[in-house]
Amino acid sequence: MQAFYIRYRNTQGTLMRILNAVSRRALDLPSVHAEATEPDHQVTLQLEVTPKQVGQLFREWYAIADVTDVQTGAELHSAKVNVELAAPWNLPHPPASVAGNTEEGNVIRA
Amino acid sequence: MEIKGADIVLQCLRAEGVDLVFGYPGGAIMPLYDALEGSGVRHILTRHEQGAIFAAEGYARVTGKAGVAIATSGPGATNLVTGIADAKMDSVPLVCITGQVRSALIGTDAFQETDVFGVTLSLTKWSRIVRSIDEIADVIAEGFYWARSGRPGPVVIDIPTDMLKAKKEFSGAVKFVPRARPEKAEKHAANGNGNAAGKPNRFDSIVAMLQKAQRPVALVGAGAKLSGAIPELRRLLDDLNVPSFATVHGLGAVPPQAPHYLGMVGMHGTRAANMALHETDLLLVFGARLDDRVTGDPSRFAPFAKIVHFEIDPAQLDRVRACEIPVVGDLAETIPAFHKAMRNAGSSLPDWNEWRDVACGAERAELDPRGLAQPTIRFLDELFSRLPQNSVVIADVGQHQMWAAQRYRSSSPRGFITSGGLGAMGFALPAAVGVQLAQPETCVLCVSGDGGFQMNIQELATVHRLGLPVKMVIVDNKYLGMVRQWQQLFYQRNYAETDLSDNPDFVEIAKAYKIPARRLNEDAMREFPVSQGTGDLIDGFLHSRGPELLVFDCAPEANVFPMVPAGASLSEMVFEEE
Repeated sequence: MQAFYIRYRNTQGTLMRILNAVSRRALDLPSVHAEATEPDHQVTLQLEVTPKQVGQLFREWYAIADVTDVQTGAELHSAKVNVELAAPWNLPHPPASVAGNTEEGNVIRA
Repeated sequence: MEIKGADIVLQCLRAEGVDLVFGYPGGAIMPLYDALEGSGVRHILTRHEQGAIFAAEGYARVTGKAGVAIATSGPGATNLVTGIADAKMDSVPLVCITGQVRSALIGTDAFQETDVFGVTLSLTKWSRIVRSIDEIADVIAEGFYWARSGRPGPVVIDIPTDMLKAKKEFSGAVKFVPRARPEKAEKHAANGNGNAAGKPNRFDSIVAMLQKAQRPVALVGAGAKLSGAIPELRRLLDDLNVPSFATVHGLGAVPPQAPHYLGMVGMHGTRAANMALHETDLLLVFGARLDDRVTGDPSRFAPFAKIVHFEIDPAQLDRVRACEIPVVGDLAETIPAFHKAMRNAGSSLPDWNEWRDVACGAERAELDPRGLAQPTIRFLDELFSRLPQNSVVIADVGQHQMWAAQRYRSSSPRGFITSGGLGAMGFALPAAVGVQLAQPETCVLCVSGDGGFQMNIQELATVHRLGLPVKMVIVDNKYLGMVRQWQQLFYQRNYAETDLSDNPDFVEIAKAYKIPARRLNEDAMREFPVSQGTGDLIDGFLHSRGPELLVFDCAPEANVFPMVPAGASLSEMVFEEE
């Protein structure tokens, strides 16, 4: 597993283009962390890649109009998924009939 | 004075030099159509959005300018997708303007709402959803910049219908100035690997490699013509005096009569070109991405060669095979710079006479031992030999495309146009519309198969409406010929779903569109030379004043040879059915 740190201007679609360079190669994206970091944004990816893919990804990321920097780090330990944070998102979507201000709706959307 | 967003769009198009657009109206884009009259932008109504985008591509490919395609939201926008992918693969500057449902409805699965921004994200070079009328001018200026800059490509600008209707004070179109990127990113973009490249010392290394090389060759792709570097490339090749060959998109970059030019390389390339590429010890690549149709089995591609790769887009490097020296930059700059370095090196290059004799020898010159006897090839030879100078041939996708690429010998860099990377059937007829509109005085010949022609056959109506003198040929073998060829060679003749023997009568269909049409049977090609009557028929077809269709009925099981089977090395060409 290798970490990649990509800085980019947060224009429409730039993050998706960065991720697409990975997904189009049928690579898994076990960890993606995007955040605002002055003056740009940064996304950190952890990927299982071959050396050839590293070169291809670097060049493809730099070809995206608003990518400003790409770096790779040393091999990382597996990403820890924050189960507590993720849990509410794993619940089913509330049906449309559930009003947001009902107790049931509030519970589901909590 | 306040003007509508639609008027701003059109004024910005004019400011970008656009006077011709291709499209198809619909609900969300209606305000733009409402504003067309008197805008100075001529709109060409095709009969399908795919026809519009292929026509815009044809216009862009033959002129080098950005093509513009317009469609409405939802199905209109999704019908553009194949053309967008085609433009991405073949580096065509293209700006697509799509209407979108009004802003308040975005994300609600409204009628004819599609996330065209998301759908096309992986196919575009750049795209935007306009979020405010204030953004329109900036977005259009930036879109055209990215479509044209570097390696050209497609751009999508999605405009909600309320933005087109809204009004604002407009002070005029703007010019986009790209924001500077950090030095490291610029350096990366400039050389592709973060190391020194495109620098004088790198050129010295290439010269040193040339001086040691025993079997150098040059492979020419589309990059030189896209960069407008054809004269520079030809001068360099004249001085290098090495065997050269071209990809399907590089055809015409080197004059076919140039000494030591070996024709097309790759899956259906010439024996001479493929053998030279297999045997070379130094491969100079000019503006080609080396895709699988050119390389064959990548692990056995140019196995003895070091590769020097001149390329504008670093992302194209090392996709299939790593190169020893990347020279990243606009070929209009890097080729002359390298040429100068080569001349300044002082010592002369080796004499590669022996290698040239081998690579260009008579025993390798024959395209296909049986080829000249094939009626379809004879027909194409007759057709092409009677074309006026500087004609443009647009080929669709399939067997006829490869035959045309093998046989059409154009010295014009933009004289042969086809969907090479994506291989999109149905490309040729609408693309020919765009080419003919761009060059009204040029003889435009559209060569299609019976399968591909039916994929955009509705554009006959566009040809008729505009009175375009496009000459259309259908090579009708009543099969999806290339797929059938593979089924014959690699699937034990299991012709699954490739039989088109119940094709409609194309002559009658053309006549229904009020386009004259005639038919020629391949038996007419068994005489050599062809009879006076056949010659007159072909001449009459090519030189008629208006549009015309010629259906060439050919044998259903004719095959394209030579052929490098998928997964084989370029040296393992097949010349006939086993």
